[in-house]
Amino acid sequence: MTASKGRAKGTNRLPLLAQAGPVSLWMILFVTIPMLFIIFISFMTRGTFGGVEYTPSLESYQTMMEVTYFHIIVKSLGVAAETTIACLIVGYPFAYYIARKPPATASRLITLLMIPFWTNSLMRLNAWMLIFQTNGPVNNFMLNTHMIDKPITFIFTDGLVLLGLITNYLPFAVLPMYSSIEKLEKPILEASADLGATPGVTLLKVTLPLTFPGIFSAIILTFIPALGTYVITDMLGGGKVLYIGNIIKNQFGTIRNWPLGAALSVLLLVITALMIFIYSRFAKVEDMEVV
Amino acid sequence: MKKKLMAMILGLVVIFALTACGGGDSGTSGDSGSKELNIFMWSDYISDETIADFEKETGIKVNLSYMNDNADSVNKLTAGAGDEYDLIMTCDAYMESLINGGYLEELDLSQIPNSENINKAYWTEQNQKFCVPYLMNYIYVVYDKERCPIEITCYNDLIKPEMKGQLGSIDGARNLFPIALIALGYDPNSKEESEIAEAYEWLKKYNANVVAYGSTETNIVNGTISAMLTYDGNTAEAMAAMGDNNTLTVAPFKKDPVQLGFDLYVIPKGAKHMDAAYAFLNYITDAEVMAKNLVENPYSCPNDAAVAAASEEYRNDPAFDFDYKENIFFQEDVGDAIKIYDKYYQKLKVDTGE
Repeated sequence: MTASKGRAKGTNRLPLLAQAGPVSLWMILFVTIPMLFIIFISFMTRGTFGGVEYTPSLESYQTMMEVTYFHIIVKSLGVAAETTIACLIVGYPFAYYIARKPPATASRLITLLMIPFWTNSLMRLNAWMLIFQTNGPVNNFMLNTHMIDKPITFIFTDGLVLLGLITNYLPFAVLPMYSSIEKLEKPILEASADLGATPGVTLLKVTLPLTFPGIFSAIILTFIPALGTYVITDMLGGGKVLYIGNIIKNQFGTIRNWPLGAALSVLLLVITALMIFIYSRFAKVEDMEVV
Repeated sequence: MKKKLMAMILGLVVIFALTACGGGDSGTSGDSGSKELNIFMWSDYISDETIADFEKETGIKVNLSYMNDNADSVNKLTAGAGDEYDLIMTCDAYMESLINGGYLEELDLSQIPNSENINKAYWTEQNQKFCVPYLMNYIYVVYDKERCPIEITCYNDLIKPEMKGQLGSIDGARNLFPIALIALGYDPNSKEESEIAEAYEWLKKYNANVVAYGSTETNIVNGTISAMLTYDGNTAEAMAAMGDNNTLTVAPFKKDPVQLGFDLYVIPKGAKHMDAAYAFLNYITDAEVMAKNLVENPYSCPNDAAVAAASEEYRNDPAFDFDYKENIFFQEDVGDAIKIYDKYYQKLKVDTGE
C-alpha cells in the first residue's frame, strides 16, 4: 500500500523534476557551489605566494574593518551611484522616445543602441584614451582654438573613469526601462489627460510609478556591475584610481591575499542582496523587468 | 498527456546532454608521446618565428600558455606543475624558495651544450643546477630631456614636488619598494618591517607624483608623462616609436644602483617531456637563434654570444646606452617577508584615494 503510494507520488513528480531539475542543477553547480566556496575561502589564511592555507582565521574581515577600506567602499558606492543616476537621467527619456516609436523603428533604434556592444569593450575604452590623451584630438582642438594654452590631463582621472562607466552601462539601463514603458497602455495616459492632469503630473503620478519595475531593474543592472568593475577603472584610471573591484582583483594578482579578496567579494554579495531585499519591500521581484 | 510527453523528452535531452559531455571529456586525454612541449611564460616575450623554426627543426609541437604575473608561475610550480607543463618561466627572485621547496628538476647541463654562451656573472653556481636564463631587464629611470622639469640623477629626485603629474611607473611591490629602500640608504632586499614601513612613507610621496602605473612606454610617447621608472625593453620601444625626434634619455644616475632582473626557464618536478624541454633549452641558447629572437624582443640578454651576433641596431640601441650597467642589485628571495611587503603595498594602493 505504502509502496504503491510512493510510486504514484514519484511519477507525479517526474514532470516537475524534469522541468526544474536542470535549472536547479545548473544553479547549484555554477552559482551556489562557487559562492559557498568564496565564503569558505574568506575565512581562511593567505598562502605566501597566493593561494589559500586551510587554517581558519577572521583576519580578512578584521582587515576589511580598517578605515582605508571603508573609504574605498564609500567612494565605490558613490561612483556606482553617480553612474546609475546619470544612466537613468540619460536613459529614461531615451527609452521613452524609443518606446513611443512604431515597432519597426523602435527595433531599429534598439539595434543602433546595441551595435557599439558588438565591439570589444577594451577597444571602446582604448578609443576614449586616444580621444582624450595629452596629444589627442580633444586637447589639440582646444590648443588650436586657444581655449587652453597647456594640454589638460584628462586620462587617468576620476572624470574619465565616470564617463567610461556611463557609456558602458547605458544600454543596460535603457533596455529594461524600454520594455516597461513599451507595456504602458496609451489609454491610461489619455485618461490621465482627460481627467485634467498636465503632462508633467501624468509623468510623475502615472508613467513613473507604472514603469517603476523597469527603472528598478535598470538601477540593479547598472549599479551592481558598476560597483564591481575593475577593467574600466584599471584602464581609464591608470592603476591609480582604485575602487573596490580593483582592490579585489589585486588580491588575486599582485597582492596575493586571496582570503581578503574573497571577503571583499562577500561584502559585494551582501550589498547586492540588500538591494534586492529593498526592492522586494516595494514590489514583487517577479515583476522585475530583466529583458 | 502532452505535458507528460514533454517532460519525458526534456528528461531525455538532459540525460543525453550529460552523457555527451562525459564522452567528450574522456576522448581528449590521449597520450601523444614526447613530440610535444608545454611552456608557460610571459606573452609577447618570444618571437613566433623562433617557435615555428623550433617546431620545424625538431618536429616537436609547442603549446604556449601565458602568465599574467610572476605569482602565477610560482603558484603553478608550488602546486606541482609537472603534469601540465615542461618548461615554466619564473624570475631570479623566487629561485631560492623554489629550489628549497624541491619544486624543480635538477638540470643536466651536458644536454644543453649551448648554455656555454651564457655569461656566468649572470648565472650563479646554484642557479646553474636548476635554471637557464632567458632575457634580463634593467629597471631604471628614463626622462624626456625637453619636457621633464628637472634632471634626474637619483631616486630622491623622483619625489620632488616639481615632478608632480610627470611620472609614470611600472607596478608591483618588489619593483617599487627597493628604490625607496635605496633612496633611504637601506638594503633593497630588506626584511625589516621598520625599514619597509619607512619605504612605504617614501612611496606615498612617489605615488603622489605618479600619473599612472603601467603602459609607461605609451604614456611617455603620447606626452602624458615626462619621466618613468620602467624596463629597458619598454624604453627601447618608446625610443623607437619616437624615431628621429627621440628626446628620451636614460637618467644619468651617479650613485644609486638599478635593479637587474632575470626571466629564466625551469623544468617543473615530474615534467613529462624532459627530452623536448632540453631540446628547447639548447635551441634557445644558440647564439644565432637568440640573436634573431632579439629583433622582436629588444631586451638585455645574458647570452654574450647572441649579443655579439645580434644586429647593429640592437647593439647600438640608445635604451641600453648608460654607463652604470655594473652598479646593480638583484631582487632576492625574501621568504616570508614577502607578506610584509604585500601588506604595505596594499596600504599604498588603498591610500591613494585620499
